[in-house]
Amino acid sequence: MPGKHLSRWTLAWFGSALLFLLAACGLALLGAAGPQDWSRGAGLAVVHLFTLGWLCHVMLGALIQFVPVLAARPLALPMLALPALIAASAGTVDLALGFLFLDGHDALRPLFLIAPFATGLGFTLVALMVAATLLTHATLRLAEVRLVLLALFALAGLWLSGTLMVLTLSGTAMVLDLAVTRPLHILLGVGGWLSLAAFGVSYKLFAMFLLAPEKISRLRDAIFLTAMLGVTILLTALLLLLTERSTAWAMGVTLGLIPVIALLYLSEITRIWQSRRRAAPEGNMLWSRVALAFLGLAVLLALPGWFIGGVWAEAAIFLALVGWLSTLTLAQMVKIVSFLTWIQIFAPRIGRRPVPLVQKLSNAQAVAFCLALWSAGAVTGCVALLLASSAGFRLAVALLTLAALGLVRELIAIRHLSHLAAQERPATLPHLILPLTQPLQPVEFRS
Amino acid sequence: MTQPTPLELDVRPIIRRGEEPFGAIMAAADALTPGQALRLLAPFRPAPLFNVMANRGFACRDRQRDDGVWEVVFTPTPGAETETGMAHGSAPGAAFWPDPVRELDLIGLAPPEPMVRILEEVTLLAPGDVLFALLDREPMFLFPELAQRGHEWAGNFARSGEAYRLLVRAGAQDD
Repeated sequence: MPGKHLSRWTLAWFGSALLFLLAACGLALLGAAGPQDWSRGAGLAVVHLFTLGWLCHVMLGALIQFVPVLAARPLALPMLALPALIAASAGTVDLALGFLFLDGHDALRPLFLIAPFATGLGFTLVALMVAATLLTHATLRLAEVRLVLLALFALAGLWLSGTLMVLTLSGTAMVLDLAVTRPLHILLGVGGWLSLAAFGVSYKLFAMFLLAPEKISRLRDAIFLTAMLGVTILLTALLLLLTERSTAWAMGVTLGLIPVIALLYLSEITRIWQSRRRAAPEGNMLWSRVALAFLGLAVLLALPGWFIGGVWAEAAIFLALVGWLSTLTLAQMVKIVSFLTWIQIFAPRIGRRPVPLVQKLSNAQAVAFCLALWSAGAVTGCVALLLASSAGFRLAVALLTLAALGLVRELIAIRHLSHLAAQERPATLPHLILPLTQPLQPVEFRS
Repeated sequence: MTQPTPLELDVRPIIRRGEEPFGAIMAAADALTPGQALRLLAPFRPAPLFNVMANRGFACRDRQRDDGVWEVVFTPTPGAETETGMAHGSAPGAAFWPDPVRELDLIGLAPPEPMVRILEEVTLLAPGDVLFALLDREPMFLFPELAQRGHEWAGNFARSGEAYRLLVRAGAQDD
């Protein structure tokens, strides 16, 4: 396997995630979800196509690709990547369909019950690969590695709380107070798993794209310790919930920690930004700054969200998922796919024939337009939720859908090398999403 | 002290598919734990590999089994471990390489430009010549490409952690 640091199934994970994103946007556009209408089965299906299908898939795929870079060693157990993808995708489809059981489609109840097993299997397989790669004496010294491992603990809590809610909603076993479990589930997912994993990966990714020196940073240790406290409290609260004890204190403390963690993280990113050697950052970094602004705004909205609830909580969660996590992911995904495609096709040709610049694989203007459209959709959606305006929310989803379609089109163009002149393209194009392999050349090894 | 179980790599399926197994063998060699041997199963005696693996600090023992399959065991030579402080995968004995004939300052270049510059320069070197490069960061995607082309490398971060120092010794061929 040439290119041992290219994880073979990354693009399949990204492709699957993008299909779920388009499905979530399409269903929301058809009216399956809207302001103050999230508890219906259809609304929950849309939310989980977005969170589990889009964001979790893209984060799991990104981890499989970047964990070897974080640890500077090859990915452990790479053969688990495909079974994990199949299990996680099947689990997402099961769950989305299973939620429709709540709207009276009784025949879908078995799917609802299978979903936690399938998603749990997918998560476990990825966690095994990530932990087996990262768990060494040398790498555990790095705060970003510990942060990713902490995110996996939050993922376990997210899965457990989700599974308990499925059992409650389906009337299978225990009866949990959903009003108490739901905020725990959301905090573990958005604040614990997705945001902490994004923090850990972004340290390395931002330093790489900005050419900032890698330094041991006390700020990162502080972020890790505060985040560890938060995740520990949330997991403890989850266990207390099972013994029917009060968990209100845990939510209060965690919500108090969130602004601290966000502030520390934004300070660390500012430090990386200021120490960069690259004078003019590229589009992926400029749009990541917009994502960081959304993070700040989401944290500000989380406070009235906790005390007042209702539209404030909806807006805060929407901005965290659509503004912060998705804008960051989409901006970086275009760059990552360009880079992986370039490595796959052109690395073996360096020094043997001219190779194009990575930047030539994508159309920067088209990407910027789509990311602007996405950000406008995030702002519009947030305002629409605050005003409880269904029409405004529909407009926001339309903007998000257009942006997602545009970015998918651009990603396909990158994989097909469409922006290159004919003489710069190889005779055989890489497959859109199937394994990353390089054209092989006979070197050294002949019979 | 007990030796770790050898890692077994059967390259026959790769060759049957018409693919080149060199990269898989190098990846397997990189994945070995300290002291672990690599047992290779091949449909023929992979003689060109012996020299490459010897340069990486492995002794080799080969035999043809009764079923015609060649079984080669590459055992790490005691004392040939990578020098302390060198990155995982660095060639042992880099301290005894000749002085570099070419030096590249690649600080401030965005990836993958440093990789392009190094591979272009290495192609121009005579076998055995050494190139030195200073980079912002560890060039993770360059290493498999160097191994694939039969070049050796050794690298580490400067003490300040703000630059990566890399030596590349040109292999016998790079067409």
